[in-house]
Amino acid sequence: MTPGSPLLAARGASRTFGRKRALEPVELEVLDGEALALVGPNGAGKSTLLALLAGALEPSTGRIERRKGARVGWAPQRPAQYGRLSARENLELFARLEGEADAPAVAGQLLESFRLPDEASPSANLSVGNRQRLNLAISLLGSPHVLLLDEPTAALDPEQRRRLWERAAALREAGGAIVFATQNLDELEREASRVAALRDGRLVFAGPLAEYDRFQAESLSA
Amino acid sequence: MSRVLLLLRKDLLILRRSPLLAGILIAYPLAIAVLVGLVASYGSAKPRVAFVDEDNLPATVVLGGHRFHVDRTIREVSKNVKLVRLDHDEAERQLRDGRVVAVVTVPPGFVATLRGLVRSPQLELELSRGAISSRVEQQVQALVYSLNRQLQTAYIESNLRYVSLILEGGDGSFIGQPITVLGIAKAQRLLAQMPQTARTRTLLDFLHDARLALANTGDALRSTAHPIELVRVPGRGRTQLLSASVEAYALGLTITFLALLLAAGSLAAERDENVIGRLARGLVGLGHLVWAKIALAAVVALTVGLAIAIAFGTIIEVANVTGGVAWRRLPLLVVGLVLAGGALGALGALLGALAREARSASLVALLVVMPVVFLGLIPPEIVPPAGWLSNALPFVHSVKFFRSALYDLSPWGEVLRESLWLVALGAVFGALARVEARRLLV
Repeated sequence: MTPGSPLLAARGASRTFGRKRALEPVELEVLDGEALALVGPNGAGKSTLLALLAGALEPSTGRIERRKGARVGWAPQRPAQYGRLSARENLELFARLEGEADAPAVAGQLLESFRLPDEASPSANLSVGNRQRLNLAISLLGSPHVLLLDEPTAALDPEQRRRLWERAAALREAGGAIVFATQNLDELEREASRVAALRDGRLVFAGPLAEYDRFQAESLSA
Repeated sequence: MSRVLLLLRKDLLILRRSPLLAGILIAYPLAIAVLVGLVASYGSAKPRVAFVDEDNLPATVVLGGHRFHVDRTIREVSKNVKLVRLDHDEAERQLRDGRVVAVVTVPPGFVATLRGLVRSPQLELELSRGAISSRVEQQVQALVYSLNRQLQTAYIESNLRYVSLILEGGDGSFIGQPITVLGIAKAQRLLAQMPQTARTRTLLDFLHDARLALANTGDALRSTAHPIELVRVPGRGRTQLLSASVEAYALGLTITFLALLLAAGSLAAERDENVIGRLARGLVGLGHLVWAKIALAAVVALTVGLAIAIAFGTIIEVANVTGGVAWRRLPLLVVGLVLAGGALGALGALLGALAREARSASLVALLVVMPVVFLGLIPPEIVPPAGWLSNALPFVHSVKFFRSALYDLSPWGEVLRESLWLVALGAVFGALARVEARRLLV
């Protein structure tokens, strides 16, 4: 993919687990500066689509395209970190794996920024909210251009939610993009610039927020 | 620092954070090794054998002028079995219950037959049908052999008295009946006093030859009784407990247990912690992940294996065991520990990838350890299929490497052969683990 093309795109990407088709072939693009919300009921395929876009899963059919040089950060719904390592150790490890030049310094900045405890105790002992903060902090390592967040605010307090969306806005202003799965209608209306709706593993809608409201109204009347 | 080393460092840090787990992982296989050693040493343990005396053996028996202390004799010759005196019924009951493995019965008339020094008295042996009955039979045979050796002297002396009676003549007894014998010497004198004819000269020649021949009977009888005499040289070398085999098996078993469990558990744990997806999206390839687990197994095998070898060596030094320790061979052992740990780690990684969950992986690894080890303990000459299966697993090659590296005078051929086995098995299991690791992403 060349500059001018989407940052990230699913081209007929589908995913099957055993005999179960979790996601039907999807065509979806992530553009510069946008906040794309993935909506749909539980089991609709949102997390699977995010994992495919992140490269954590390989598509069963189709492909995922990424603009050359575009880096992707991913925060899965269930925190992905080593429970026996402290928050700092997790951040330093993933910073090194991401190729950060000064891993301890980057880890220190993120600990402070996310107000995470800089203690030796294992991250498994952290509160649910702090584990989610650490999950989000790890996703920011490597200065990603696209941030993929799976229900990111579910365990966060209001202050941390505000900070998260501030970071997302800063990323978009810098030309990056954010794709987030959510069940929260307030967040959807406040933060999303575009919506992709999934149902039973199918992409049933993709378009601006205003059109999504109309799509929902028509779906209900039908 | 490469990504494999980063993951290895992380795994070692996590292991260090779990001292209880690490302690159990080291203590458990050592305990198993000790138990295996105890079971193996049962081969030299004393089975319990009932001794039924139906002839009321006297404290002493005089045979051919020799006095035998029966109890002392039995104690001396029963070094390989624990003899317990029981009556017939109790002995039979204990044999049925398996409390004794055999019953040795001294039947009525035993001593009388023995005193006769003509017929061989009989001991009766009744064996259980257990797995060790053949060994007990051998030991009772050894007991009877030892008794016979002591009795042979009396029998020979008795026979020599008959020879002496034939030579010199005089009064004696046979089967309790008094006899008077002329004797060759007196017969010669009588013949010499008779008129010398061709017949008397022929008889004198015969008696002369017979006397010469019988004069050598003593040596002939003694050498017939002991054509070859076994003389036991005082013990040298290591004790059985500290033998090269026990050390090699202890190393092999401990490393097999550690490497399989750690590699299987830590690979599956990447999925349990939900980290595998984060790693696999370009940070660390699945191949690197498998390599990291193989490296973890190799490092732990090296550390624990060296500690065991040094502990073994120290005990041998302190106890001043003859034969000493081959400290110069430790560098060769290091190579073996790394190769064995790596090959077993690859097998463990394969188990972890197949099981997918850390708990299941640990359980599977635990279940796999024992068959792998016991297959390696079965002599391939006895059960060839066990040998073929065992050859396809790293345990037996690890043990052969350790044994040869530490104690063979010229270990290079064996060490090279087993190294190639370990590398080949590690490569095969590692490749399979890499393929199966994709299942962890689901």
